[in-house]
Amino acid sequence: MNRFGVVAIVVVVLALLATVPWIASPSIIQFGISTLLMAVLAQSWNIIGGYTGYASFGNSVFYGLGSYGVAIAMVQWNLPFGVGLAFGAVLALLFALLIGLPVLRLRGHYFAICTLALAEVMTAIVSNLEIAGRNTGLVLPLLRGDALFYELSLGLLALTTLTVAYIARSRFGFGLIAIRENEEAAAVMGVDTTRYKVAAFAISGFFTSLAGGIHAYWITFLDPVSAFDITLNVKMIIMAVFGGPGSIFGPVVGAFLLSAISEVLSTKISTLASLFFGFVIIVAVVFMPRGLADLGRRFRSVGWRYFAENVRRNRL
Amino acid sequence: MKTLVSLIGGIAAALVAASASAVITLGASVQLSGPLANTGRYYRDGYEMAIDTINKAGGVKVGGKSEQLELKILDNQSDNNLAVRQYVQLVTQDKISLLLGPFASDAVIATSSVAEKYQVPMVQGGGASDQIYSRGYKYIFGTLPAATKYFESTIEAMGKLNPAPKTVALLYADDAFDVSVAKGTRDLIKAAGLTTALDERYSTNASDFASLLARIKSANVDAVLVAGHETEILNFIRQAKSLSVSPKIYSFTVGVPSADFRKALGKDADFAFGMTSWLPTATLTDQWFGNAEKFEQAYKARFGYEPDYHAASAVADVEAYAKAIEAAGSTDPQKVRDAVAKLNFDSLYGPIKFDEKGQISLPQTVIQVQDGKVVPIYGGKGFIEKPRYPMPAWDKR
Amino acid sequence: MDLLWQVLVNGVLLGGLYALMALGLALVWGVLNIVNIAHGAFIMLGAYVCYYLFAGLGLDPFAALPLAMLALFVFGYVVQRYLLNLVIRAPMFNTLLITFGIDVVLTLLAQLAFSADFRTINPTYAGSNFMLGSATVPFVRVIAFGIAVGLTLLLWLFLTRARLGRAIRATAQNLVAARLYGVEPRRVYALTFALGAALAGAAGSLYGVVSQVNPYIGGSLTAKSFAIAIIGGLDSPLGVIVGGLFLGIVESLTSLYIGPTYSDVASFGILVLVLIFRPSGLLGRTA
Repeated sequence: MNRFGVVAIVVVVLALLATVPWIASPSIIQFGISTLLMAVLAQSWNIIGGYTGYASFGNSVFYGLGSYGVAIAMVQWNLPFGVGLAFGAVLALLFALLIGLPVLRLRGHYFAICTLALAEVMTAIVSNLEIAGRNTGLVLPLLRGDALFYELSLGLLALTTLTVAYIARSRFGFGLIAIRENEEAAAVMGVDTTRYKVAAFAISGFFTSLAGGIHAYWITFLDPVSAFDITLNVKMIIMAVFGGPGSIFGPVVGAFLLSAISEVLSTKISTLASLFFGFVIIVAVVFMPRGLADLGRRFRSVGWRYFAENVRRNRL
Repeated sequence: MKTLVSLIGGIAAALVAASASAVITLGASVQLSGPLANTGRYYRDGYEMAIDTINKAGGVKVGGKSEQLELKILDNQSDNNLAVRQYVQLVTQDKISLLLGPFASDAVIATSSVAEKYQVPMVQGGGASDQIYSRGYKYIFGTLPAATKYFESTIEAMGKLNPAPKTVALLYADDAFDVSVAKGTRDLIKAAGLTTALDERYSTNASDFASLLARIKSANVDAVLVAGHETEILNFIRQAKSLSVSPKIYSFTVGVPSADFRKALGKDADFAFGMTSWLPTATLTDQWFGNAEKFEQAYKARFGYEPDYHAASAVADVEAYAKAIEAAGSTDPQKVRDAVAKLNFDSLYGPIKFDEKGQISLPQTVIQVQDGKVVPIYGGKGFIEKPRYPMPAWDKR
Repeated sequence: MDLLWQVLVNGVLLGGLYALMALGLALVWGVLNIVNIAHGAFIMLGAYVCYYLFAGLGLDPFAALPLAMLALFVFGYVVQRYLLNLVIRAPMFNTLLITFGIDVVLTLLAQLAFSADFRTINPTYAGSNFMLGSATVPFVRVIAFGIAVGLTLLLWLFLTRARLGRAIRATAQNLVAARLYGVEPRRVYALTFALGAALAGAAGSLYGVVSQVNPYIGGSLTAKSFAIAIIGGLDSPLGVIVGGLFLGIVESLTSLYIGPTYSDVASFGILVLVLIFRPSGLLGRTA
């Protein structure tokens, strides 16, 4: 498929998705909102995790900061939603710059665990902050306007994906990929690794915080545990990895597919849904560790041997 | 990309397929798995039991015609965000316009906004925090009495003990319900003229209470009041024993009425005070179950464990709907909502009558574990049974 | 002063248990480079094994402890041999994800099998204590502390003296060199993971004796174990003991002087600082 075809398909799909609020039932709109926001999260994680190769468990911090930005601005200061979004984004950017500098020096598991710990610290700090409603949380004003939330989420997803597509073709993107493949070599090649990594972290955090802000206003209730939820961060990673980390559409497709599966499951078989979700993760990691994007590229030529090959390549 | 579009189409079709039915369906999303599953089951079992019993007695009369009740219950995995989405789904996709609640104040705070948003009533028996009722919502009703007054009867009873406790330690978890309890209890302590020796907030799910216990011991506090969750209170009591901390009296917001809590502690549960808005006595008469005692027996025979006030409160929620639907002569959410607001009837749980904010008012009976059994100690009219007071030291039991 | 002394004693005893909780995690991480998110779920399973031996067969919990370790050893061996060995060379976050998946599955299966009821392992002597100066010292916590330190020392001796132990350490440093050493990596990997699981089994048994067990205790135990393992360093079991004691004391003092809601701020804050400034642990060689 040439580049033109891809763009055409994307535009058509976007246009179709944009009409959903006018034709679909409220529950589909709500499913759409949560899926679109999930896709934004997976796509944002893709920037730092997929392209740069840093397994961030701290994206839920950005999400929480975005949520609290909106909640504090609206509840405590009676400011409009837009100002809250901006406030949350500023918090997230500040966090990315201040914390990113020291933390992005860590590699591999150490980076993962450090960001995980940051999420725990933020939960603990916020549950002691008076202005954030401590651990009892904040209740936001109610807005009956799911169509608006839907279009906002769709717009945000389009913007995030556009950004990723732009990055993937830019000098900046090549620098990130170089860092992922071999950071020392990238430095030798003249990539300013620190600046690149912090920038990737900040861009990732920016979009994540906006998703958090939209979600907070939509769901109207916020407490530290749900705002800085580590499980949410794991879901972002699963969706990105399932779809194909380091690809432009992989994380979006992964998020759509997995959200759909888990939504159907949690309404049809309820309790066993999370059990199934656990099995999906295990099976996916074993048989298709490079995600749907890789599967789609190589399945046609290799066929069913693709799965066996993956196992052979990664086993001890 | 094509597969994606067809997939979304498929899901849409599946979602639309399920639609309204002839019976009256009540919808709920309850914690059936996850950390709150232990209490969540009281709600599932209470709802089911009430619906089955009402159906057996002929169902609900709507305009001269008898209709059966039905329950659509979803498992929210103790995740409040999922619970919110499930309620939206219940309302919009399953077309259910009468909602029952989840367990716990924070879940109710989160999900009641769905009821408000779609203007359908939610009658819930799982949340008591004043945060639920302070938002001016019109569609939320609750059958747990105000969190701020949980310790009211306990503090009243303490004043009549001999020797009466003078100093109090107040410990509370940092969630919505327990913060409300602490807020109310602080005023009650002051009004009773007691001295607060310790007033500490701790993290929900804390497992180590050694430092707090050391402070209680060194301050030599007479009474310890704890507002928290069952796991924390289990740890608190076990660690109190291992550190030989025995105030004259200690009382807990939850745990004491629940059978599996007492079973987990065995003998160590003895002397613990608590409170309940409900006791399975024959004096609480009920249209469908006869009385609360009969309900307790039937519940135990069916589910294999004793009901506590959570279960009774859940039953009251279903009965409230049955009564309100009959009074309204309709299942229209608006009319049912207005009928719920005007309800005034006796249930096995107690008299059901909501105030203008939507909350019920019931006295808390002080209870104590004596030889492994829950014994009512103090109610509105004074002492019922003799309290075992003061609590003996751990090595003298 | 008496209060401080009591709180310090509490902190040390808590720290011993913490160290045992983190020991298996640190071993698996240090040697196999697998960060096992399901470690807390393993601890939970160990606690249930001990609980059922205690409540069902009337076994003393300390007699049941070795059996719980054995059960978890076998379980761990199977998980590594037939599942984790399949993804060992995949990108790093894949191993994180797969252990997360295992955690989800184990937790839910535990609820189905054991119900969400709270359990305690509560032998008659569970609450007895003695005085050490002005401080009350819980008897079972001292035993638990002794077992934790004992197992740590045993592990340390095993890794430095025994042939298999040295093979495990060789594997940690270099897989190719380990092969030259005459080691079958698949078996060594499985044995190492099984050892880690057995240690989780021991920690779970002790946890059940001093606290309570339900299917959902795993998550917070994993998080705490991370903190201890990192603060102590992954090089040596002795470092983990130090990490555990350090964290136990810090949490107890934070709770006493700043407030109980700040102990998580302290422990995870320290974890972040240690990672940033001394990524190989408080005692570890500086990177």
